[in-house]
Amino acid sequence: MDQTETALIQRCQAGDKEAFGPIVRKYAGRAAGAAGVLLGCPHDAQDASQEAFVRAWRNIRRFKPGYPFYPWYAAILRNICRSRLRRRSRRKTVALADGHASPASDGDPVLLAEQDERRQHVYGALLTLKPAFREILVMKHFHDMAYKEMAEALGVPIGTVMSRLHNARQALRKVLEEDGS
Amino acid sequence: MSCDEFNRLASGYVDGELSEAERQRFETHLETCDACRRDLANLRTLTEDLDMMHFKEPGDAELARYWSGVYNRLERNVGWILFSVGAILTLCYGAFKAIEELVRDPNVSALLKVGVCALIAGLVVLFVSLLRERLVVRKVDRYAKEIDR
Repeated sequence: MDQTETALIQRCQAGDKEAFGPIVRKYAGRAAGAAGVLLGCPHDAQDASQEAFVRAWRNIRRFKPGYPFYPWYAAILRNICRSRLRRRSRRKTVALADGHASPASDGDPVLLAEQDERRQHVYGALLTLKPAFREILVMKHFHDMAYKEMAEALGVPIGTVMSRLHNARQALRKVLEEDGS
Repeated sequence: MSCDEFNRLASGYVDGELSEAERQRFETHLETCDACRRDLANLRTLTEDLDMMHFKEPGDAELARYWSGVYNRLERNVGWILFSVGAILTLCYGAFKAIEELVRDPNVSALLKVGVCALIAGLVVLFVSLLRERLVVRKVDRYAKEIDR
């Protein structure tokens, strides 16, 4: 972890809100993007990622400086997204989370995957997967987590991580094949 | 190694997460099975596609707006805490005074007095029970460690 971030986190722990700004700015795009994949809704994603930063700030004194900030933040973000998905399924509202998600729109550049036809296609297909598959793909490909880290975060054995990840990729491949790509 | 087992380990192989022994068995099977080689090639393509995915970095104006949203929430939190504390104190004081007056009023029937007291006692019990439940859930929450790092 770079020294600047450690210093900023130490200032945050001393109560300096302004020091939190550069950290938020550094990870905002990645955070909102990952939340977008998990929730399948750009506006909800931005809100969830901001809520996660607020929760991170509230608990910043419990964070050990020297550790990388983003994996810690990503765990908070995942929990917020999970709660929101649970609330959505309880309400039985329009199931954005389960197969009817819409890709990020041009109107929300923070959440856009890079403008490239193939990537947009994969991104769109990714949003149609079920939440558990999206979650594990986000952990692997957007948060660069190792199997061991994923197993700890999800509370499952490494073998389960491997098979869930494989099933998620197979499901994604199937969607892409059905779309003819 | 069977094709089923190969399939089970394929993602681990692509991600470099197999043990040395598993990797060797995997590669031995790979040399002898055309179908599995094709599956693996497809999986690699998909993995590369996913690895290429990244999000557009927001511009300065977007970042400023985003940070402003977070900052406002941080400030609002302090406001909400003060408001809640104030509201709780005011309501408790008001309720206490109202009950005191009710209990001392000789024109109010004893039944109503008992009813109001039971109502208040019930609310207190419910509040304590909910509070205790929240605290217990927090203690056993397996995700709580994600905050404690």
